[in-house]
Amino acid sequence: MITETDPRVTARINLDAVLATLPELVRLAPEAHAIALRDPRPTSIGFAVRGGPRSVLTFRDGMVEHRAGSAAATILLPFTSPAAFTKVIDGAAQPIPVTGLHRITFLLKVFAPLATLLGRYLKPSEADLADPAFREASTILTLHTATAAVAQVANHDVSGQFSAHLVPDGDVVLEVLGSVSYTLRVADHHFTFVPQATASPRAALTFADLDVAGRLLTGEASAMACICDGSMSMRGMLPMVDNVNRILDRVGQYLGE
Amino acid sequence: MTTTTTPYTFARSKELFARAFDVIPSGIYGHQGPSEGCYIPQSAFPLFSSRAEGTRFWDVDGNEFIDYMCGYGPNVLGYNDPDVDAAAAAQRKLEDVVTIPSGVMVDFAELLVDTVASADWAFFAKNGGDATTLAVLTARAATRRKKIVFINGFYHGVAPWTQKLDYPGVLPEDVANNLYVDFNDLVALEALLSDHKGEVAGLIAQPYMHGNFVDNALPDAGYWQSVRRLCDEHGVVLIVDDVRAGFRLDLAGSDHHFGFTADLICFCKALANGYNVSALCGRADLKDTVSSLSYTGSYWMSAVPFAAGIATLTKLKQLDAPALFHRLGTELTTGLVSAGSEHGFTLVTSGAPALFYLRIADDDSLMLHQEWIAECVQRGVFFTSHHNHFLNAALTSADIARTVEVAHEAFGIVRARHPELG
Repeated sequence: MITETDPRVTARINLDAVLATLPELVRLAPEAHAIALRDPRPTSIGFAVRGGPRSVLTFRDGMVEHRAGSAAATILLPFTSPAAFTKVIDGAAQPIPVTGLHRITFLLKVFAPLATLLGRYLKPSEADLADPAFREASTILTLHTATAAVAQVANHDVSGQFSAHLVPDGDVVLEVLGSVSYTLRVADHHFTFVPQATASPRAALTFADLDVAGRLLTGEASAMACICDGSMSMRGMLPMVDNVNRILDRVGQYLGE
Repeated sequence: MTTTTTPYTFARSKELFARAFDVIPSGIYGHQGPSEGCYIPQSAFPLFSSRAEGTRFWDVDGNEFIDYMCGYGPNVLGYNDPDVDAAAAAQRKLEDVVTIPSGVMVDFAELLVDTVASADWAFFAKNGGDATTLAVLTARAATRRKKIVFINGFYHGVAPWTQKLDYPGVLPEDVANNLYVDFNDLVALEALLSDHKGEVAGLIAQPYMHGNFVDNALPDAGYWQSVRRLCDEHGVVLIVDDVRAGFRLDLAGSDHHFGFTADLICFCKALANGYNVSALCGRADLKDTVSSLSYTGSYWMSAVPFAAGIATLTKLKQLDAPALFHRLGTELTTGLVSAGSEHGFTLVTSGAPALFYLRIADDDSLMLHQEWIAECVQRGVFFTSHHNHFLNAALTSADIARTVEVAHEAFGIVRARHPELG
C-alpha cells in the first residue's frame, strides 16, 4: 500500500479518465448536450502536459470525442507540469491557450461549463442524488471515469503497475446488470480502457445494479463486503478481478484527493 | 450413466449470513468466506456448517457434503477421529492452558524430532503463519541479513511480510526486502543470489508449487538438490513451508519426500487433525538462534493440541497415510478425468494426488470450471475452483465412487448448458 500519490498519475487520470468522460456526459445528460450545442462548430482542444499526457477533446454538433496521445488541435493548452495541469482542473488556475485564440470564447461558453457540470456529476451533492435520473447518470459516469482511471493507474502508477504485472492477458469486464458494461483489455500487463462490453471476457466483475456500483465507487461499501453479500459477483480468471479491485482501490486514492 | 440429484438449497445459510454480515466484517472473512473462497456463484455454496464426521460435513440446512477441502487441510484423519479425540479428552481432564507448560509438550517435540528427518528441535505456536514468521526471523537473526527470496505464487500466511506491495495496510517497508523468483527456475535463482550476494538471509518455499488458479507444478528432477547447493554456497537459510503439504506426502517431511534437507521446516494443518497447533522444526545449529528471539503467545503451549498431535502422528504412521492418500487421490482423479471425458471435457489434474488441483482446460477463463464446481457442490461434493484439494484418511472407495457419480452428472449439466461447445 503506497500512501502517497504521484502527480504525474494524477494528471493522467484527470486528462484521460476524468475529462475523457465528457463524451459520456454529453451523451447521458440532456443539460450537457445543450451546453455542447451552444457552439456546434467543429472545435478541438489539445492538452499538452510537459512530463505528462497529451490528449485532444473534439467537439462537433453537440457531441464530444476524446483521443489520447496527441495535442494537435484548434486550441492548444500547454501546461508546464503535471501539477500545473492539476491546478487548472482543480479550479485553482486558469489555462492559457497558445493557439486558437479566435475560439477562446468556446472555452468559456462550452468547455468550462461542461467541465463544471462533469464535476457535479462525479462529486454529487445529497440534493442531486435525490433525483433518481441524476443518480443513475452520476453512477454511470463515475464508473466510466473509475474504469478509465484503472487503465491509467495500471500503466503509470507504482502500485498499479505492481498489481498489473500479476494480471494475465485478456478482457476484464465491469458490468452493471441491465445497464452499462466497460472493458479493460490487458496485453502484456498493459491496460486499455474500452468503453463497451466485450464478446469474450476472461473475467468479469458484476454489480447487481447501479446502486451497488454507486455505493462501491463512493466508498460507502467495500468490494469484499459486496462480493460476500452477493450484491457484486465475479467469475472467470479471478486474479484479473482481484488485481483490478486492488487498482480500483488505488484509483480511489487519486479520485478522492 | 443417468442420475438426477436434487440440487441443494441454502436458506438457513443465507439467514445466518445476513446476521453475520451485521456483526462480522464481510460476514465471513478470509479463505472460508464467499469472496476469498471463490464461491461462484455465491448462491451455489453453503456458508455455515453444523456438524462434521469422518470425511463429511453437514451445513446448517442439513445438506451433506463429501469434503475435499478438509477445513483447508487440518482434517487429515477424518473429522472427530475417535483416537485423536480420546487423547485430547484425556489431556483436557488433566490440564490445558496453565502457568507452566505441560510435560506433554516435551513428548510431542520428541515425537516430531523422531519423525521429521530434518528436525533436531521443535518450537510450537498456533497457526502456520506463526511458524513461517518465526522461520524468517530466525534466518535473519542467524545471518544478520535482510532479504528473503520467495517463489512466485507463494502463500506463507498473512503477516505483513508475506503480503504484497498493493495490499491494504501493507507498507512498502514491510515488503522492501522481498525478492521473487519463479519455481523450477534455477538460472534465475542463481542470478538473484549472485546479484544480492551477502544480502539474502533465507529462501522460503513450499515443497512444490501449489498456487491458486494454476496447474500445480512438481519440482523438476534435481531442482531441490540444486537449490540446497545454491543456498549453501550463498549462506542462505533454506526454509520449507510444509504447512499445506506436511504429512500428506511424507511423514518425515516434504523435503525428505523430494530428497533434500531443509534448514527450517514449518508445519501446521495436518499436525493435530484440527486441534490448534503449529510447529517450526529445524537443524541443530539454529536452535540457539531461535532461543534468542522474542517470540511467544498466550496459547502456544496449551497441552490438549499436543496430546492430539501425538495421537495424530501416531495414527498417520500406523496407516502409512501418505501411501493411502496417494492411492485414494489417484483413484479419485482418474475417475474424475474419465467422467469429464465422457462429456467431452478435458479435466486436468495436477500436483500430488494427496493434494490434487483440478481445472477444466476447455476454456482459458475458468468459467466452465467454476460452473462445474458449483454443480458438484450443489449435489454434495465440496470442491473449490481455485485451490488445491486435500484428502483425509476417512475417505473410502465408496465415497470416491459417489463423488465421481456426482461429477459425471455435473459435467452433463454444464455440457447441456453450453451447446456452443459442440
